[in-house]
Amino acid sequence: MAMRAAILRHIRIPVRSYALEFKPRELNLSGGSLMRFMSSHDEHLTKEEVVERVLSVVKSFPKVDPSAVTTDVHFQKDLGLDSLDNVEIVMALEEEFKLEIPDLEADKIDSTGLAIEYIYNHPMAG
Amino acid sequence: MASAAAKSPTRLEVLSLFRSLLRTAHEFSDYNVREYTKRRTIDGFQSNRSLSDQQSISAAYANGKEQLAIVKRQAVIYSLYAPKVKSIMELKSV
Repeated sequence: MAMRAAILRHIRIPVRSYALEFKPRELNLSGGSLMRFMSSHDEHLTKEEVVERVLSVVKSFPKVDPSAVTTDVHFQKDLGLDSLDNVEIVMALEEEFKLEIPDLEADKIDSTGLAIEYIYNHPMAG
Repeated sequence: MASAAAKSPTRLEVLSLFRSLLRTAHEFSDYNVREYTKRRTIDGFQSNRSLSDQQSISAAYANGKEQLAIVKRQAVIYSLYAPKVKSIMELKSV
C-alpha cells in the first residue's frame, strides 16, 4: 500500500486549463459556408448540395414540369400545384434529408427558396 | 353517428391528417405496402378535393382518421415480421 502511494505521488498529470473563447456562430445566408467553431458536426451540407438535392426532388415529382423548376419557384403559384401536393413535396424532402419537419413549419414551406433555406439552416440535415 | 352539430374539419386539420397518413406510411418495413399506402392516401384525398357539403366532408375526414388508426396498428405488426431481405426496388444500384 505504501508503495502504491509512493508511485502515485510520482505520477503527476499536469492539469491544464484551456482558455475557452466563445465566439458566436456567424450565419452567412448569402451563400458562404457556415462557420461553427465548436461544432462536432463537421460534415454539414453545403448550400450547393442542398440546392441540387432539393431541385432534384421537386423535379422528380410527377405533376411538375422539370424545366420550370428554379431555385425560387413557388409551388402553388408557379408550378400549379395544390396544398396536397405541397404536403407531398415537403414529405419527399423530409425523406431525402432524413428530417422531421413539424407541421407549423411545413405549412410555411411554399417555394423552393424557402425549402432550401429551411433545410440549409437545419442542424440535422443529412 | 355524426350529429348535425359535428364541426366540419378545418383545412389545417385535413392537411395534418394527410401528413400523418404519409408519415405513418413511411414507417412500414415492406416496400409494397408502403408504396400502396402512399398512393392510396394521395388518390383518396385528391378524389375528395371537390367535396363541398359539410356532411360528406366530415364523413370523409372520419373515414380518414379510422384508416390512420388502422395504418398505425399495421405498421407495428408488419415491423414484427419484417422481411430480412430488402425488396429489389429499394436497392439504389443493382
